[in-house]
Amino acid sequence: MNKLIVSPSPHVHSGDSVQKNMYGVLLALVPALAASVWFFGLGALIVTLTSVLACVLFEHLIQKYLLKKPSTIMDGSAAVTGLLLAFNLPTNIPLGLIIIGAAIAIGMGKMSFGGLGQNPFNPALVGRVFLLISFPVQMTSWPVPIAARGAYIDAVTGPTPLSVVKEGLAAGRPFSELTAEIPSYLNLFMGQMGGSAGEVAGVALLLGLGYMLIKKIVTWHIPVAVVGSIAVFTGVLHLSDPQAYASPLFHLLTGGVLLGAFFMATDYASSPMSKRGMLLYGAGIGIITVLIRIYGSYPEGVSFAILIMNAFTPLIDKYIKPKRFGEKPAVQKA
Amino acid sequence: MNQWKNFSKGFFKENAVFTLLLGMCPTLGVTSSAINGLGMGLATTFVLIMANLVVSLVKDFIPDKVRIPAFIVIIATFVTIVEMVMQAYVPALFDALGLFIPLIVVNCVVLGRAEAFASKNNVGSSIIDGAGMGLGFTMALVMLGSIRELLGSGFLFGLPVYPEEYGMLVFVLAPGAFIALGYLIAIINRFKRA
Amino acid sequence: MGKSASTLPAMVLTLLIITAVAGTSLGFIYKLTQTPIAEAAVLKQQEAIRMVVPEFDNDPASEMYELTSEEGFTLKVFPAKKDGQCIAAAIESVSNRGFGGEVKIMVGLQPNGTIIDYQILEHKETPGLGTKMVDWFKPVAAGAEEKSRNAFFDKLFGIKAAEGDGGENGQSILGKNPGQINMTVKQDGGDVDAITAATITSRAFLHAVAVAYTTFTHNTDCESGATKIEEAPTREGAEQ
Repeated sequence: MNKLIVSPSPHVHSGDSVQKNMYGVLLALVPALAASVWFFGLGALIVTLTSVLACVLFEHLIQKYLLKKPSTIMDGSAAVTGLLLAFNLPTNIPLGLIIIGAAIAIGMGKMSFGGLGQNPFNPALVGRVFLLISFPVQMTSWPVPIAARGAYIDAVTGPTPLSVVKEGLAAGRPFSELTAEIPSYLNLFMGQMGGSAGEVAGVALLLGLGYMLIKKIVTWHIPVAVVGSIAVFTGVLHLSDPQAYASPLFHLLTGGVLLGAFFMATDYASSPMSKRGMLLYGAGIGIITVLIRIYGSYPEGVSFAILIMNAFTPLIDKYIKPKRFGEKPAVQKA
Repeated sequence: MNQWKNFSKGFFKENAVFTLLLGMCPTLGVTSSAINGLGMGLATTFVLIMANLVVSLVKDFIPDKVRIPAFIVIIATFVTIVEMVMQAYVPALFDALGLFIPLIVVNCVVLGRAEAFASKNNVGSSIIDGAGMGLGFTMALVMLGSIRELLGSGFLFGLPVYPEEYGMLVFVLAPGAFIALGYLIAIINRFKRA
Repeated sequence: MGKSASTLPAMVLTLLIITAVAGTSLGFIYKLTQTPIAEAAVLKQQEAIRMVVPEFDNDPASEMYELTSEEGFTLKVFPAKKDGQCIAAAIESVSNRGFGGEVKIMVGLQPNGTIIDYQILEHKETPGLGTKMVDWFKPVAAGAEEKSRNAFFDKLFGIKAAEGDGGENGQSILGKNPGQINMTVKQDGGDVDAITAATITSRAFLHAVAVAYTTFTHNTDCESGATKIEEAPTREGAEQ
């Protein structure tokens, strides 16, 4: 080996790799998975297993037989997509829909654009929104936590706190009266509420985020921007009329805000590269989420908001360029 | 020019929807069912043939600077005729297509053929060109409409294929139009390259 | 090719001739299609009236009169008579609370306000969800749902067989009197089952029915636009 290899800088490899990051994300999702199994039992297990297996299988089949390239399933990204897709589904969703969702997420959301790193939209959310629009009835029946543990399709269902509050407020009832019908903030934080498999337990999601931050898999910018903008926006509304608008804490702890902000908005391929871009992107997600929740017809809007901002990512990257490696900040002239 | 080639180019080589990407508004807007696609396609075909015919007849008398307004008036006339006739004799189809009928006036396919073909060719070729382009457009709309209707609601030309509840609603709605069109174009491009 | 020069007189003249010819031919076609268009519209209206009221022997369209609802909507009332006796009225009603804007319906009421049948005339609701209102609020025809069901696929797609059977569970509004039941969806404390996943459309539909009912029973008798002397027995709904 006396060949001299000349390559452009940077020359130091940090030891980072797609594989390492993806397995890191998988590990970070374990607490949320555990919480989901604790609350929804059998259903959560079936849905998660089916979704992950289906996503990995579809990726393998498409790579191997349609694109005729070596299979990429070992990089872990298909498993992450499958897990996130499962986390975004109610745990009583029938198998057929999970498989359709996985096929859409991998086939349409990811492989159609060229596979890992090329997808403009978060694949798991593409699958989820496709299912939500196509099968609204099945996608909006939510099992009751703990009571639904032993059952899958026939689980006892109930409304989510978000829909209780949205319909209550629409009917003109004050927010303070509605809080009696939803779980306490502590229960919301621990995850004892109706909702998608992985989105309920705020505490577990926070643990996962902490792990990802320590391992430097993601930076704090997007999660903080999303959570912060939702808190500020709903806070202003709540202060202006505490009875007509739900409190910011309620908005943060319900629905998919934490799951979306921590795990889906931070998807590498579909989020901006620069720090300032990330903040702008996160704030956009927060604002659109609140707009949909309060003025839209759906009670929940995180997944739509993330997809909409995904579409803006190239634009954000065009105008807010990441700093080049070694570039000095421009000196302002007087 | 070989008249068969002139006719058949509208179906594949120069298909308005799949190759030229013209007339996207009705393509995406009315193709929620195969019948709607067929109705829209045939209405456009009629307008195309008639507009091509008239434009090629009068092309020598129209001063260059006002040719576009003149073409638009000719096209608008035929569109209005189609609209009134449809309203009188097939009111159900008229209700389904609604706003998209008057919008044929601004369909780029029609003005495009008048400007690019009929104003430079004789009457016979112009009619054949109009028919080919129009039927190619119809074919594209029916294909898209069939796919969306079948996947979205389990029907094909209004006949049930499988129970409606299994259908993926998104295909009946606007996003499904974009998704289905995207994949259709991708598949056709793939065959074109091969 | 002797192309005309782009001089002003030539251009004006050309456009003038083209528009004149276009105008004349359109006028001609208009004359030709005028009657069929009017006939088609009348036929459609007749059809809608026939669907919602029992058999009649008068011409409801010619005896049509208009009422203004409390919200300011103009409703068309078509009285249906048999042997000179008023048996029902078909009312064209509207609600602006739909998911996609206005929902226009034709509802047939008995003189005391009991709903006979309804037809959807115009709407912009979501296909597959809101559009179910076309027959959601009617009792399910026996055996209509049985065909081509496959238990395996039903399970795979999570379709519950019980879904869509009306009558029993308060889905159907036919034969009911809005003065006696609460004509709002169950989510709002009413007696009617909303369309699954299309509550807004259901509200709009019931609103349109309520508008027809209150306007009809409060303002008039069946015969004409004259104001009724005695109040119809109502429980609620005036403010719905």
